Amino acid sequence: MNETPSGSPIRATPTGGGGDLTIVGVVRRFGPVTALAGIDLAVRKGEMLTILGPSGSGKTTLLKVVAGFETPDEGDVLLGARTVTFAAPAKRDIGMVFQNYALFPHMTVAQNIAFPLEMRKVAKADAAKRVEDVLRLVDLAGLGGRLPRQLSGGQQQRAALARAIVFGPRLLLLDEPFGALDRKLREQMQLEVRRLQQHLGLTALFVTHDQEEALILSDRIAVMDQGRIIQLGTPQEIYRRPVNRFVAGFIGESNLFRARVAGQGYAALDGGARFRLPADAPPEGTEIGLLLRPERPKPLANGAAADNSFAGSILDVVYLGETVKYRIRLDPGIEIVVRWPFHGSAGSLRKDDRVTLGWSGEDLHLVEWS
Amino acid sequence: MTAAAVTAARVPPDTAGRWWRGHRADTLLALVAAPAMVFLFALYLLPVGLLLQQSVEGGSLAPYEKALTDGLYVGVLFDTMLIAAYVSVACLLLGYPVAYFLTAAPAPWPTIGIVFILLPFWTSILVRTYGWMILLGRNGIINRLLLETGLISTPFPMLNNTTGVLIGMTHVLLPYMVFPIYAVMRRVDLGLLSAAEGLGAPGWQIFRRVYFPLTLPGVLAGVTLVYILSIGFFITPALLGGGKVIMIAVLIEMQVRQFLNWSFAAALSAVLLTATLLVYLVLRRLFRSDLQWS
Repeated sequence: MNETPSGSPIRATPTGGGGDLTIVGVVRRFGPVTALAGIDLAVRKGEMLTILGPSGSGKTTLLKVVAGFETPDEGDVLLGARTVTFAAPAKRDIGMVFQNYALFPHMTVAQNIAFPLEMRKVAKADAAKRVEDVLRLVDLAGLGGRLPRQLSGGQQQRAALARAIVFGPRLLLLDEPFGALDRKLREQMQLEVRRLQQHLGLTALFVTHDQEEALILSDRIAVMDQGRIIQLGTPQEIYRRPVNRFVAGFIGESNLFRARVAGQGYAALDGGARFRLPADAPPEGTEIGLLLRPERPKPLANGAAADNSFAGSILDVVYLGETVKYRIRLDPGIEIVVRWPFHGSAGSLRKDDRVTLGWSGEDLHLVEWS
Repeated sequence: MTAAAVTAARVPPDTAGRWWRGHRADTLLALVAAPAMVFLFALYLLPVGLLLQQSVEGGSLAPYEKALTDGLYVGVLFDTMLIAAYVSVACLLLGYPVAYFLTAAPAPWPTIGIVFILLPFWTSILVRTYGWMILLGRNGIINRLLLETGLISTPFPMLNNTTGVLIGMTHVLLPYMVFPIYAVMRRVDLGLLSAAEGLGAPGWQIFRRVYFPLTLPGVLAGVTLVYILSIGFFITPALLGGGKVIMIAVLIEMQVRQFLNWSFAAALSAVLLTATLLVYLVLRRLFRSDLQWS
């Protein structure tokens, strides 16, 4: 572990086996509560995989199992080809960035970053050089002598990140690391973390409850609920083809309708309205959920036709900068939310205006209702 | 002792620029602090002033010369400092784990532990010191137990010597070490320990590099309290030392009661006061440089 690296301060760790991190059938119970109900997941080398889920979904427990702060009741955790299910956290070579950064307040930034090197008995001079290099990498050059509390929130975040990657970890774990930053800084840091992770080819597991963050940062997203992975896929797949109501509701804004397939390519909604379905509709009588993303319905000019078209009146208008969000009550008694680009106030609609919406069958995505 | 006055002085200037409001707040605080200030002046500062006056009675510095040059008295001062240092170290070694226990033990134990520490704290020092005499004497409980079990053949001298004084003083002063450390330990962010572990630190390194440095402010506060209380200690060394262990407070009492040498006693008191202040300043300086992070 301690040999001098050549060139970059961060070494890529040799890969072994299929996934760099492999989780096999992991179960963790706390008394009567099952926090993890059988998790199988492989994070590929150089990939940023996000565990996305609401609080209580088990994502934090999963992170702890990977880091070694929790031991699973069943199943195994592998780093490369090495089984680390019962290895102590200190023996796993995992870099962690915590929500509150967990920088040591009594050490300077440089001492903080040198800490993992010191624990690995890296020679002083070599360690100092690596600290310098990584400080430059995270844009903190010259600030090594400061104490953490003398840094801004964003700088503390960079320092924490530097400390987590300086020893060339096998895996980078990010535990809701952007929660404490204000919105603008958060976006900037997200992009920087992403760039750095790709630049260094780090395998990273990122835990968050923020779906927007997950969409920005991830190669793949694993959506968790009640101790299970509900869906695993790229951000696009998750957004466009959610497998069920939970995922559809959790990721992005959505209009979700409960319906029953009625035949001839239509579905009957609870209120009596009928929606034209996409071509691959399930058999008649099936109870389904219909997902309609807010950007899909378009306003229809007089006389224009669409698979589905409904007139309605506008209940609310929310101006969001580049887009405007409208809450519309369609005449069959269905409320939906639509979002359109903002083209100046001249052509925009007001509360109580009448409007006709149209969308095609293919705009609807079918999900399991249960 | 002048905390109220210090607080009053630190009231930030009124931001709205209404000087009279800040002024009024200052006046109010001064009024609130006044009774304590009067009390301290009448019962502390005034007597100390009178005592200092006595030490230079007749315009002679002879008592000070005697206290600071005579080998006998310098020796007493040195012994006092040394005993205080031993007591501080003993309290630290015993108190640190206790404070940790109070922080880390599961539910009922911290409360039980605190009660056990406070019970003797609420008991008179005199009573506790006599208790130790019963335990430590030649025919005391400990020696009899050791003799009867055959562990020793002659009684182990633990009374009327330094050993007894150290045991008694450590016992009395232990809470003053435990509580400041406990207060600081409670505030240590345990996430930092997990972070250190995750970064590859073995248990003892987590303690040495992270936990102990973070509890250092409590350690320094405890050591300061115990050391300063130790150098002025009287009852315990007087009773458990049996006249053979002379600490400076014991010496002062002897000068007043046996030799009626008021001016020399006053000079010794002045020396003790100065030593106490010096220790306080030195330890506070240490605090300052080590407390940077909190």
